[in-house]
Amino acid sequence: MARIWPTKLDRDRLRRRFVALLLDWMSWGYVAYGVMYFLNDYWWRIPLERFYTTLTLPPWGWPAAVLGTLAMAVICQVSGYSLGERALKLEIREERPLTKEELLMGRAAGKPFWKTQWGVMAVFLLALTVALGWHIVKIDPEALIHPSPRAREMLSEIFPPDFRHFRVPDPAFELRGLPYSILDLMVLTIFMALLATVLGAAVALPLSFLGARNIMGFSPAGWLVYGIVRGFFNIFRSIETMLWAVVFALWIRWGSPLAGIMALTIHTIAALGKLYSEQVEGIDPGPVEAVVAAGGNRIEVVRYAVLPQVIPSFWAFTLYRWDINVRMSTVIALVGGGGIGDMLFYYKNEGKWALLGAVVITIVAVVWAMDYLSGRLRERIT
Amino acid sequence: MAEPYLVVEHLTKVYERGHVVALKDVSFEVQKGEFLVIIGLSGSGKSTLLRCINRLIEPTKGRIFIDGVEITKLSPRQMRKFRRKIGMIFQHFNLIKRATVMTNVLTGRLGYNPTWMTLLGIFPRSDRELALKNLERVGLLEKAYVRADELSGGQQQRVGIARALMQEPELLLADEPVSALDPATSHSVMQYIEQMNREDGVTVLASLHFLSLARRYGTRIIALKDGELVFDGAPEEIDDRKFKEIYGEEAEEVEIR
Ligand SMILES: Nc1ncnc2c1ncn2[C@@H]1O[C@H](COP(=O)(O)OP(=O)(O)OP(=O)(O)O)[C@@H](O)[C@H]1O
Ligand SMILES: [Mg+2]
Repeated sequence: MARIWPTKLDRDRLRRRFVALLLDWMSWGYVAYGVMYFLNDYWWRIPLERFYTTLTLPPWGWPAAVLGTLAMAVICQVSGYSLGERALKLEIREERPLTKEELLMGRAAGKPFWKTQWGVMAVFLLALTVALGWHIVKIDPEALIHPSPRAREMLSEIFPPDFRHFRVPDPAFELRGLPYSILDLMVLTIFMALLATVLGAAVALPLSFLGARNIMGFSPAGWLVYGIVRGFFNIFRSIETMLWAVVFALWIRWGSPLAGIMALTIHTIAALGKLYSEQVEGIDPGPVEAVVAAGGNRIEVVRYAVLPQVIPSFWAFTLYRWDINVRMSTVIALVGGGGIGDMLFYYKNEGKWALLGAVVITIVAVVWAMDYLSGRLRERIT
Repeated sequence: MAEPYLVVEHLTKVYERGHVVALKDVSFEVQKGEFLVIIGLSGSGKSTLLRCINRLIEPTKGRIFIDGVEITKLSPRQMRKFRRKIGMIFQHFNLIKRATVMTNVLTGRLGYNPTWMTLLGIFPRSDRELALKNLERVGLLEKAYVRADELSGGQQQRVGIARALMQEPELLLADEPVSALDPATSHSVMQYIEQMNREDGVTVLASLHFLSLARRYGTRIIALKDGELVFDGAPEEIDDRKFKEIYGEEAEEVEIR
């Protein structure tokens, strides 16, 4: 009897074939977009009066582009130059034993990928992306080799750096009516990072257990808390510290170190929370089982079976975060977060290059020292 | 005959993940003071059965009574309290590796102490005295303040036994307590369990891999095969034919001394 409906396997293949076509269609859409971009930018160089504006698509352009790319996708599917086919493992593999050479050299059966049809496509798309990127960003390699006159002036003046305000406050530079020295601000900055790290870790620690699947269990309430906490981590982590600094600088006061601390803390909570809870999820479940079997409750499970296992890596992550926060705190003033960055940008704006040099060198030295210190501590712990 | 201490009625466990039926309608009774050995091939459901009895795993169907209490009906809170009476030791010991032996042993008292105290790591003096007594009993007194991961496998399992002893249990569940140990160490560990059974009157349910060990220590043996109870009787009753029934035609009995 003839089969009318495709079997399950056939249906699965059909579905994958469809997705593969969509993928190819999308990649050709991308190619079309890239080509349009180039055309748009170079069009005015074509010495034809009537094209002296940006290129606009004629009314039939959109349907043409849609159908054209679709046609290209179909052609790809038929001819084998298809990334979609490859991605969805649709291509028919030639089943043959490995040759002696292939066995010897440890190479799996088949051509190297750049000789396959889909490999050609992939290389083509990659090349297009690089060309497009180069073009969009308008990379000017010459600028790297021949610095601007201002840079040359700056370089000649920055050496030797002028450390006269390392300890003695600079009367010309004041924040809220008070003059500061480099040392004053550096200490302030280190404490900004320290406070943010300690506060952030203290909040992240309890939260991380609420964001760990194996602690929260599978009850609806467990799922809810887990979802909320994980969502918080992910959303707040994806907003950069610098952005948080802008928010808090506007909220509190532009240039207030508190704004910087708040920004660093919020991001630290989210970033450490995520790392911590992943560690909690990766523990050996054996001790948990033992504590539960002895009649322990959830808090006791955390205290006796989970914490001992995760504390070393918690320390390592926290120190690592401390590194990041020190580095961040030196520039957060750029967006109103306070700290030594204020001095940095002040001297830059005033063109006092020798004084700027001293600030930069101090920052580099401190960041390096902190990095080294936390690295050594981390080694100790793990 | 006296009221049985443990009653398992029509116990069935289906793992949602993979739709594995790990236990199929298993029923048996255990008298107080018995040393019941559970045998069966790998994957036959021994661990699942033991974990259903203290509800580390929730049974899908069936009822379990311990000392007349239907534990399958208890609320999570009541169950936590009930677990104090049930000690458990594990194939891979399940110690807190980075903590001292003393801390590990004291975790056996978690169920007896208020959370605010255990959270701060405070245990009553009497508990600490009991811990030392139990460590002495398993011959590890001098290791009390050594980190658990510095001990040998046999020593770690003895810490596991001391931890179970801390609960002053009526029932001991032992899931393959010696299969990670060499034969000589196995016997030493089994003897501590036997001592608990004989001297403290603890009812023991132990799963064991080797039939020779089962014969040597068990007062009764039950056998599981693919989640079904295929044998329930005295150790002497397992003859060659029964053995092949439980372990399959190709199996060969291995002696462990
Ligand atoms: N968490 C789980 N999820 C899904 N299936 C499981 C789970 N735990 C066990 N199983 C399955 O249940 C069956 C019984 O497993 P169980 O661990 O109880 O066997 P066992 O007799 O203890 O074996 P072993 O001697 O290897 O420890 C096996 O088929 C196993 O694959
Ligand atoms: Mg098992």
